[in-house]
Amino acid sequence: MNLAQKLLVWFLSGGIFLGCFSAQADPTSDSTIREELVQAILSDGQAQQKLLNELAESGAKVVHDVLTAWTRQGVYLYEGPDGSKVPILLDDQLDGEGKARAIRIIDGQFVKDASGKELRFASADLNNAETDMRLRSSIQQSMDTLALSAANPEERNSAVLKLGNSQKPRYIPILQAKLAKEADLAVRRSLNEAIALLQLADPDPKTQIAAVQHLAELKSIGSVDNIKALMNKAGCPPDVVKACHGAVRVIENHIGFVNFIGTIFHGLSLGSILLVVALGLAITFGLMGIINMAHGEMIAVGAYTCYVIQNIFGTGFGFAITLPFSFGGKNIHFGLHIPGLNTTGLWYESYFLFAIPLSFIMAALAGLAIERTVIRFLYRRPLESLLATWGISLVMQQLFRMVFGANNVQVNSPSWLLGHFSVNDVSFDYNRVFVIAFALAIVLGTWLLLTKTPLGLLIRAVMQNRAMAASLGVRTARVNMLTFAFGSGLAGLAGAFLSQIGNVGPSLGQTYIVDSFMTVVLGGVGSIVGTVCSAFGIGTADEVLQQTTGSPVTGKIVVLVGIILFLQWKPGGLFASRSRSLD
Amino acid sequence: MKLYLSKWLGACAALMIAFNAMAADTIKVGILHSLSGTMAISETSLRDMLLFAFDEINAAGGVKIGDKSYMIEPVIVDGASNWPLFAEKAKQLLEEDKVAVVFGCWTSVSRKSVLPVFEKDNGMLFYPVQYEGEELSKNIFYTAEAVNQQATPAVDYLLAQGKKKFYLIGTDYVYPQTTNLILYKYLLLHGIKLEDIGGGLRKDDSGKVISAGKYTPFGHTDYQQIVAEIKQFAAGGDACVVNTINGDSNVPFFKEVAAAGLTPADCPVVSFSLAEDELRALPTKDLVGELGCWTYFMSIKSRDNKAFLKRWDAWLKTEDHPGVVKEKRAVDSPMVLSYDGVYLWKEAVEKAGSFDVDKVRETLESGDISFEGPGGKNTMQKNHHTTKNVYIGDTLANGQFKILKTFNAVYGEPFLLKDLDEKLSAMK
Repeated sequence: MNLAQKLLVWFLSGGIFLGCFSAQADPTSDSTIREELVQAILSDGQAQQKLLNELAESGAKVVHDVLTAWTRQGVYLYEGPDGSKVPILLDDQLDGEGKARAIRIIDGQFVKDASGKELRFASADLNNAETDMRLRSSIQQSMDTLALSAANPEERNSAVLKLGNSQKPRYIPILQAKLAKEADLAVRRSLNEAIALLQLADPDPKTQIAAVQHLAELKSIGSVDNIKALMNKAGCPPDVVKACHGAVRVIENHIGFVNFIGTIFHGLSLGSILLVVALGLAITFGLMGIINMAHGEMIAVGAYTCYVIQNIFGTGFGFAITLPFSFGGKNIHFGLHIPGLNTTGLWYESYFLFAIPLSFIMAALAGLAIERTVIRFLYRRPLESLLATWGISLVMQQLFRMVFGANNVQVNSPSWLLGHFSVNDVSFDYNRVFVIAFALAIVLGTWLLLTKTPLGLLIRAVMQNRAMAASLGVRTARVNMLTFAFGSGLAGLAGAFLSQIGNVGPSLGQTYIVDSFMTVVLGGVGSIVGTVCSAFGIGTADEVLQQTTGSPVTGKIVVLVGIILFLQWKPGGLFASRSRSLD
Repeated sequence: MKLYLSKWLGACAALMIAFNAMAADTIKVGILHSLSGTMAISETSLRDMLLFAFDEINAAGGVKIGDKSYMIEPVIVDGASNWPLFAEKAKQLLEEDKVAVVFGCWTSVSRKSVLPVFEKDNGMLFYPVQYEGEELSKNIFYTAEAVNQQATPAVDYLLAQGKKKFYLIGTDYVYPQTTNLILYKYLLLHGIKLEDIGGGLRKDDSGKVISAGKYTPFGHTDYQQIVAEIKQFAAGGDACVVNTINGDSNVPFFKEVAAAGLTPADCPVVSFSLAEDELRALPTKDLVGELGCWTYFMSIKSRDNKAFLKRWDAWLKTEDHPGVVKEKRAVDSPMVLSYDGVYLWKEAVEKAGSFDVDKVRETLESGDISFEGPGGKNTMQKNHHTTKNVYIGDTLANGQFKILKTFNAVYGEPFLLKDLDEKLSAMK
């Protein structure tokens, strides 16, 4: 397997299934399969159908990739110098003019001109290998059968279930043959499920009952529709109906259980987001007593840092600003251009790991600057700190608009944060699992910093009684500065994570500022433990109410009313601090 | 100093001459869009497109009535995403500036807010953005997509693809609510069972369904539960999602859909509020293969469209209107329907031989006014809507759509609910 072929597979797989390609390529048959593919693309009608069926049996990855590209209009016909039509794919990497190198399907090599120079094309200048709906559906069918022999168990799984839901009994022998060979437990389960599903369409009531009971044993959520359809069919024998009723009951119980666990998980993840977002505020507002309306913009600094780092790992980042006023008759321009590293694959996917610490640093630096220029004059005047930080937040929003534009910017999640795993039908998204771990890690880090380091000791001393600490020789101004920077840095970390699940735009901070204050106030101003408890409490309550009322709005309203009532009863929050400085 | 003064005097003189010339042969035309506030991101593009259309018409000699030609003079006002302000600004345009016609509004609530003003002052408004129908004012011309030019063709397409289960989700306001209610009835009429329409139903005391589908507020960010519900809904196969979520919330929604492993091959999402302009700000990687349905796509390969895009790019390079962003621009359906509206109005004025609202309306209602726009031929109908082509496309990684199906010359029908209700009760 030469380099270009490797590259081809690499690009086609989009870097998602890193490293699994070398294991499954079969060099002996590869060239014949490629030839058949080219024939299939260039032929039509019956011959095309036949070739597609043959290709479906091959199980080769290249077939899957080319067929996928074909249905997505990504196969082009390049007219060679001799007038022959050569099917090609375009490389993922675009150059500055939006053109890409072309890869010949027949041998996986780049298309070159006579002098050996690689030719580049823009997709708009090439002709697609056209597909109509009929052809797309037969390609799809080939891909379904093809996917049964995919290397990735998850793909096999989804292919199997798809065939099961098709309700076409002709697939049963194919699936039974696969079952005999299959080693992966999850796929075996799906194969059994799919076979049972297909047997529902069997004319013999005995087979049907066995299939229904089998599905109930498997607790197959996907089969409920088909079982219900079977029992509601006119002329269905009574014992089949009875079996169906039993199965539906079993499966619906199972769905209830799945929803219960799922809701708790969603609650934890929502709670973690609240926690990550509010922890920085628990420091700047809770400990330091600054009503910090610019907290949301610190989150946005973190999110935009993530965006900038992503672009530096890609094609580079630049901006140019012309100030809206002139100085001495001249417009003032300034700008910045950071060249891109143009990384791909694993390096590009790892941009987020670099973005996390940098988000912390950038937001901390921004916090430092704000503390030195504005907030240090306002420690004894909380209401003025409210107005001043609100002003800062407006200024920062406008700065974001000038540098990054008024529209939201695109942040693509690395592939290792996309996707999910399932345990007993409860699915856990990777990014949600990540946020829970991330939240716990930064809470742990904050706790260690505050209780186990000399700086933490100074912070607590200054926050509890500034005058006393100063008279004992603590440099309170410096401690204030570092504490505020630390709180802002935590907000930056929140931004880095939020960029993976939501919008990144100039008003990002506004979305979260209310939630942050709510969490901190409910937890008890000045108490980190309180913030943790209130974040998880609000998150879980919100999701449980969403699940039970079936409406996303009602849940939120009930939670808010609950919080208001709670604060009437306990104005200090869950964990009221008894610090004198807060009196 | 002297030079400066004489320059200033000269400018004044030029201005006065220009003013005199204006009084002779210019015609004032209003632009009423939000240039600030939440809707500014979308509506500013429409302002830019209208200015382009006016510049283009002026460069070609203006609007011709008899042997006289009138240059279009735009009067731009800012509705500021504030619905009552829209009504005030409309009043200003009609009563103080005395404009011949107004192009404007995006949200349905802004249109509903200006409607009484236009009816009272007998003005004329061209409205360009897909909307829920169930409205017909003699003073408004809807170049917009009616529900049967976007939502129902998309559902027809999905039905033809063998989809049997439909999950309806949207943002909680009038357009998604009405559209989903129409779709709910439309699906029942096409043999989809009640339990196969997902998202939930709300009934009034008499048991009549008043709302179908799942709704989230503007700016909602947490779609975990909803996507988990969709996943269970789609577990049995042959399901799809009809998405009328508006604005920012689409990002967390589609990120959640991608993370949950709901692929377009298994359960496609068709969106009615995401066009090329919006896709610029979305992570298109997560949207590849999801469907869109509009009466214009930038990727239409007609000669008219290519020429139009070329002219637009050239205009962006040379124009000097304040506030027009020049980089990374996309063109989408609401923009093109604004553009079409300008030309339909011009055509009607020239044919009527007058700017008088009643005469222009009569000509527009005749059914003879049509325009070969970038998305194909637009014909104004008697019911103030337009006949135009409808396209269905799937999203590509570059933020464009690949056209999958075209419905030619679809008649715009604003009143669907009553008809559907009658057909449904006949079915029972």
